[in-house]
Amino acid sequence: MHRKARRHSSESGAVSFNMTPMIDCVFQLIIFFILTSQFIQLEIEQVTLPVSFASKPKDVTEYRNVVINLVDEDDPKCMVFGKQVDYLVRGGDNELSSLLKERKREAGEGKPLNVILRADELIPYEAVASVMLAAGKAEIEGWWITTEIKDMDEVLQN
Amino acid sequence: MAMQVKPEQPKKIQPPMTPMIDIIFQLLIFFLLMPNQQAGEGYLTTNLPRTSGPVAGKQQKDVKRIKIELQVPENDDKGVVIVLNDAQTFGRNFEGLLAALQGLQSRGLPPDHPVLISPWMSCRHKWVVRAFDMAVAARFTNIHFAVPYI
Repeated sequence: MHRKARRHSSESGAVSFNMTPMIDCVFQLIIFFILTSQFIQLEIEQVTLPVSFASKPKDVTEYRNVVINLVDEDDPKCMVFGKQVDYLVRGGDNELSSLLKERKREAGEGKPLNVILRADELIPYEAVASVMLAAGKAEIEGWWITTEIKDMDEVLQN
Repeated sequence: MAMQVKPEQPKKIQPPMTPMIDIIFQLLIFFLLMPNQQAGEGYLTTNLPRTSGPVAGKQQKDVKRIKIELQVPENDDKGVVIVLNDAQTFGRNFEGLLAALQGLQSRGLPPDHPVLISPWMSCRHKWVVRAFDMAVAARFTNIHFAVPYI
């Protein structure tokens, strides 16, 4: 008498899939975004930006950008990518203009080089003018001043 | 009759994965949104002074520019006194400056008429930006900043 082999039915109809590779991918993404945000924060210093109603958000990815931060109203310092840079005008090239020339050379034929100034609202104009002169010496094509966008009424009340 | 005893299969301990996945997705969404914290910032585009070539540092005297001078009062180093075309003084009244610039526009000056913002070196950056705003609000498009000629 033959015994028919019983088909072993699955204990339940549930189908589960392996979650481990998915979690690995998600962890990779998290590490990527953590590192990316750290690089962004290195470029930007904490400043109180001046308010403006004429400024507009722009797509910074169209350019190769150099972010120049001017901090400390009492003793203005120029910070580029977390490092203090000498920006004082002495007639010839200073550290900032040399850095900008080098960046422009590296940019080459690709996206144009753009300088983004992030200056504290109480920084004296002398420091801003010195940075402008350094960028002018490097013959930079684009120059943006970063501000906080506000309505006209809010700006005039400030 | 011998009974076959099946060996006990080791029990598998499966920690609940669902809450862990929820937390991971929360973290992912957080880091996706974090770079956008700089939303609310805008940019003013302006021209750099020419420091090389034949017109480097030289004033163009053939066109009478509108000059907005930003002085610093003696008793308030963070304040400002606005002087338009070396003639009209507005104190700290930027609305008055805007009205005056709009008046100049209405007299037929083209939008690309040169406007020079000439701050004192000790003038604070916020007033320079404010003067730029007023010139833009008056629909002038050719706005320059005065820098010391080296």
